[in-house]
Amino acid sequence: MSPLAVRMVDELRATPRYFAEVVEAHPDVAWRDFLKAWGEVRAAGVLGREDDGRYHIAS
Amino acid sequence: MSGFREFLGSLEAAGELKHVKKPVDPRHLSALAAQAKEATFFESIAGYPEWRVAAALVSTRKRLALAMGCSERDIAPRFEQGIRSPIDARLVKDGPCQEVVWEGDRADLTSIPIPLMHVKDGGPYISATLVVSKDPEYGRNVGSYRMMYRRPRETGIDLVSPSDMRLYYQRALDEKRPLPIAVAIGVHPYEMLAASYKAPIDVDEFAIAGGLHGSPVELVKCRTVDLEVPADAELVLEGELSPIGWTTDEGPFGEFSHITGDVKWNPVFRVTCITHRRDPIFYMLQMPWENDWLAAPVIEAAGLQALRVASVQPVAIRAPIGGCCYWTLIASIKKRPGEGKNALLAMLSVAEVKLAIVTDDDINIYDPDELDWAMTFRVQADHDVLVIPGARGKHIDPSVKAWALGKGGLPTTAKLGIDATIPEGVPKSQYERIRYFAKDDVRLEDYL
Repeated sequence: MSPLAVRMVDELRATPRYFAEVVEAHPDVAWRDFLKAWGEVRAAGVLGREDDGRYHIAS
Repeated sequence: MSGFREFLGSLEAAGELKHVKKPVDPRHLSALAAQAKEATFFESIAGYPEWRVAAALVSTRKRLALAMGCSERDIAPRFEQGIRSPIDARLVKDGPCQEVVWEGDRADLTSIPIPLMHVKDGGPYISATLVVSKDPEYGRNVGSYRMMYRRPRETGIDLVSPSDMRLYYQRALDEKRPLPIAVAIGVHPYEMLAASYKAPIDVDEFAIAGGLHGSPVELVKCRTVDLEVPADAELVLEGELSPIGWTTDEGPFGEFSHITGDVKWNPVFRVTCITHRRDPIFYMLQMPWENDWLAAPVIEAAGLQALRVASVQPVAIRAPIGGCCYWTLIASIKKRPGEGKNALLAMLSVAEVKLAIVTDDDINIYDPDELDWAMTFRVQADHDVLVIPGARGKHIDPSVKAWALGKGGLPTTAKLGIDATIPEGVPKSQYERIRYFAKDDVRLEDYL
């Protein structure tokens, strides 16, 4: 995974977040780079969901 | 045939399109579009030099009427006209939607400025989709389904509600095969309206769009799937719904009820090819307003039809934005005794309509004050209010408490009808409005 994707995983492992909160944590990242990193996190198969829609790391 | 760009031109000519020239990040498109009274055209998108974005194109009744070439009061009869006079689509050899082609690994959704729209959305969303699918027995279907970005070649798709494409997908799933689909983005509102109409399963929605245009919708064959899309679309995503069933998380999304929805379990869409114009415009359908207004002619036309089937003569009908152009219907009628109640029963039979109000034809139902006046002086609650309990409801209405039903539970709702026509036995003369003496003889300007 890219360093950005790793940071996203670490942040979500620390506390569940809405997608927008993940976005807000990386305001200076170009949108396309953000989407690619998010795709890497998705592809890793580690994402889980809270009932209220927040993401967390499931494994 | 008038296309997406011609419609943008109409908005421009009517002073209904605001140009935003400074570069805008896709994270801010929706919030900016929400602050404009007009539709918005973003001329520069940060990080996406070849793209522009159009948004909120039909987020008012006025702009929807402009798209339909009629007055704001005539959107339902205009839509009915299209349904009654379908024109088959025509296949053409090529079209601008395929000026640029990205196949395989080069088909990358991150190359498109897919916006983050709402605070609690599960991801960036493509909201203005025209999704084409095909079933070996039933033929082509066109619908509109939101899509959530997941990975560079994968989105979620909301396929929870009953629809023809849901049926197509279920049939493919039963055979353990994927369902090929094509997604056109940036098409004329007529195509979007036809897609939101629940046409009988054997009716081609492109023919209804043709009926609205008054000429055939021109289609081109897709590159990697056996489907056809509007030749003048701005952007097309080709691919397939994987045969995995309703197993992956999708949502929440800002729903057409103006409320944040829930996480849903849905299939995924795998992209095989992306095609677009050389100078593409991404269409961001601004929730909830555009979704609501695109439903209005459909619900209003269904209301007119239900009234006629009940042998009631409608004069005007309106699905107000406060009811999301979906849950509330207001009509005025030429009434004979008893028809106020007949009208309510007919209107409450339409889809998920849960509040119906009927007035006489002397009431301007587009004026909320006149409507209040009729409900004040023509209604006795013990005679003129109908409550029908236990009718079919919709999950996204919080008042039906769908969360208490458990998985697969279907909600019911009570329906309310208000007969604001002049009660039987009350002479019309009792409602004679005050008139100012000499109103037509004097002019204020002459005294200033």
